[in-house]
Amino acid sequence: MHRRLPEGPLREYLAQPFPDPKRDCREVEYLSLDLETTGLSPKQDRILSFGHVVMKGMSIELGGAAHRVVRVDQPLDENNVVIHQLTDDAIASGEPLAQVMRDFLKALAGRVLLAHHAELEFGFIDHLCRKVCGERFLTRVVDTQWIARRTLERRNQPFGGSDLRLFNLREHYNLPRYNAHNALSDALAAAELFAAQVAERETKKMPLGDFLRRM
Amino acid sequence: MEVELIEIREFLAEHPPFDHLPSEELDELPRRLSVRYLRRGTAFPGITGDGDLWLVRKGGVEIRDDEGALLDKFGEGDICAPVCGQRQPEKPITGITIEDSLFYLLPCDQLQALRERSEAFDRHFSDSVGGRIRRAITAMGEGDGTSLMSAEISQLLRRQPVIVAPDTTIRDAARLMNRERVSAVLICDGKNLQGIVTDRDLRSRCVAAGCNINSPIREIMTDRLIKIAPDTLAFEALMIMTRMNIHHIPVVGRDGVAGLISNNDLIRHQSNNSLYLVGDIGKARDVDDLEMAARRIPDLHIQLVQSAASAWHLGQAISSISDALSERLIHLARQRIGEPPVPFAWLAVGSQARREQTSRSDQDHALLLSDDYREEEHGEYFSALAEFVSDGLARCGFYYCPGKVMATNPDWRQPFAVWRDYFDGWIRKPEKRALMLASNFFDIRPIAGEESLYDRLRSEVLEQTQDNRIFIAHMAANALTHKPPLGFFRNLVVIHDGKHDNTVNLKQRGIIPIVDLARIFALSGGLRELNTVDRLRAAAEAGLVSAEGMESLEDALAFIAMLRARNQVNQLREGREVNNYLSPDALSKKERVHLKDAFSAIATMQSVFAQRYQTERFY
Repeated sequence: MHRRLPEGPLREYLAQPFPDPKRDCREVEYLSLDLETTGLSPKQDRILSFGHVVMKGMSIELGGAAHRVVRVDQPLDENNVVIHQLTDDAIASGEPLAQVMRDFLKALAGRVLLAHHAELEFGFIDHLCRKVCGERFLTRVVDTQWIARRTLERRNQPFGGSDLRLFNLREHYNLPRYNAHNALSDALAAAELFAAQVAERETKKMPLGDFLRRM
Repeated sequence: MEVELIEIREFLAEHPPFDHLPSEELDELPRRLSVRYLRRGTAFPGITGDGDLWLVRKGGVEIRDDEGALLDKFGEGDICAPVCGQRQPEKPITGITIEDSLFYLLPCDQLQALRERSEAFDRHFSDSVGGRIRRAITAMGEGDGTSLMSAEISQLLRRQPVIVAPDTTIRDAARLMNRERVSAVLICDGKNLQGIVTDRDLRSRCVAAGCNINSPIREIMTDRLIKIAPDTLAFEALMIMTRMNIHHIPVVGRDGVAGLISNNDLIRHQSNNSLYLVGDIGKARDVDDLEMAARRIPDLHIQLVQSAASAWHLGQAISSISDALSERLIHLARQRIGEPPVPFAWLAVGSQARREQTSRSDQDHALLLSDDYREEEHGEYFSALAEFVSDGLARCGFYYCPGKVMATNPDWRQPFAVWRDYFDGWIRKPEKRALMLASNFFDIRPIAGEESLYDRLRSEVLEQTQDNRIFIAHMAANALTHKPPLGFFRNLVVIHDGKHDNTVNLKQRGIIPIVDLARIFALSGGLRELNTVDRLRAAAEAGLVSAEGMESLEDALAFIAMLRARNQVNQLREGREVNNYLSPDALSKKERVHLKDAFSAIATMQSVFAQRYQTERFY
């Protein structure tokens, strides 16, 4: 499969081995990602910005934090401007999607993709991979929302959609409130939430496989 | 470039010592950090001091020694000491998270690089505790912009303005001015300010012009008014008065007339210092006059603190006023009940003797009488004297001493020989009550009467205490019972046994421990000084304490006393009861750090004392 791929970022990314699910989840590396998009549909909507931060074991390394705004040529829907605090000007001065995507894949190589409600991030990246390289996006995924839902289900605890929101979950773990709402601060917020979820389950053996979500 | 990780940058910018970093460094700093989450009850790895500096972003940590005694407690924004490269503590300590906690970690090599680049930042780590406090004191004096020149008019308004309607007769207006003791009246039609009439107008436009005093006041009022806003600076108001040659200006705010400011108010604001007040007290004809004069003490307190006087100055000023009051009261008493039948010395006791009073102080005094004193013959006279002075002081705002350390108490109104026996007993049998009394009566100063009586007593007592190791050790053990708090955790004060208080009693837990230590130096070295700062300096000179130790205590005292004085200014302004309690809410983050430094300076000296005198043998 790799051989069929053209030279390029996706191929380079796939050349690095994925983290082994049998390894302890506190020893592998993660890339926490948040995308700001114009909507929920990968086919119709566009990515406005990438935010990602590296987590080595349970230590979030802010040195590897990235916040990249993608250049989009069409005017933005007013609602998105309000939510993401990204203005037309910022978007117009952004970078080409291909460049941002290449750097993201470089950062993800050898790491687990971490996101809150990972369907969105995975869906958009997957769509891009298929469109540009004709190949689906392969990766290991940890989804903090999915971990939270599974935990509540196992406990037979009734819950509503709002219980799974990043903000409410963070409050449960005594994590600070972040006022800024951008891709990077949300990526950081998800990484911190994952650290808290792992700390809550602290046992001797914690294989990564127990936290992985099949996409 | 936009600042990334803005929330983390803002958090750092709010917390010492990162607030000292220049803006560019702060922009870069978040990228040098890593983030760790520890669940409640986890062993805290940050106390080894190698690898990283741990900063609490959310949650809390407790540090204990190997016997389980709480050493420190850290909350949001606190750096969990010990920090990089610092010497390991002699006894093993352990830390544990007491809540789910999030930390920012700065690698030690990065910290070192930052320290090399920023001097102000570096000081937080390298400075002695004393150096840090001293810098804080300097900053307090300069910082808050409430000095004399920048006081606002609204702060100087002393009373509601006297207002009359335009149709009031001139005679009625003048009567009202008389009754209210004001030199000007405002004329208002409802809420509208129409004009002003001053003493000078009454003279020139009415009396000299031979007007009808039953005419309405509006006929002689000045209606082309100069007005100022409540936030005008006092200094500007004075300029306007000088330029326009007027003595009164109405102060009009958004909600209408706020008051009337006179040049007297401004001049008094500038000259309301202890010298004027002492002068007025010296001229007082009766206790009523003294009471009037003493009402200016809170203003003096406010003004001194605003003009960045140190707590030491404040103590000197207020004590000089209570000296003057006591002296004048004794003078008035002698006019009333006659001259004393035998020589006496009126003694100030405690904070007044040390010249460390604030505007809310008890009265503590005693009478030392000549050995010619005979109870049955002279008792009545001195009892009457004591009562007159004590009641007078109470009317002037100095509360009766709850412990009855007053000359009205027959125990403390005794001839020389009895006082000598008292001291002898306290020194020979240093029991709990004896030590308490000794602490009180070792700080005495003559206010009136025969100074030689006092001199003799003082010399003999000092001779007896000097080098009396057992007595000094008992005094030391007693002094160490007042322990400063460990620090702050969020908005709580962490006290010694790990409990929390909502407020800190700055006097009980900060000032008294230092006063006690200084007194012990004085007694053990036979030093005659009374004021705590003087005692500390004399002790250092005599080699009883290291220069460094002396300075750290002196700075700690200056800082804590300053905080107390400022806190009391706020209480005075808000018309609340003036006391020694400070809520951590009232402190800036920086001040909290410095106050903790000051407490730790006290604790350090206390433990030196405990070792030197092996106080644990006594309690």
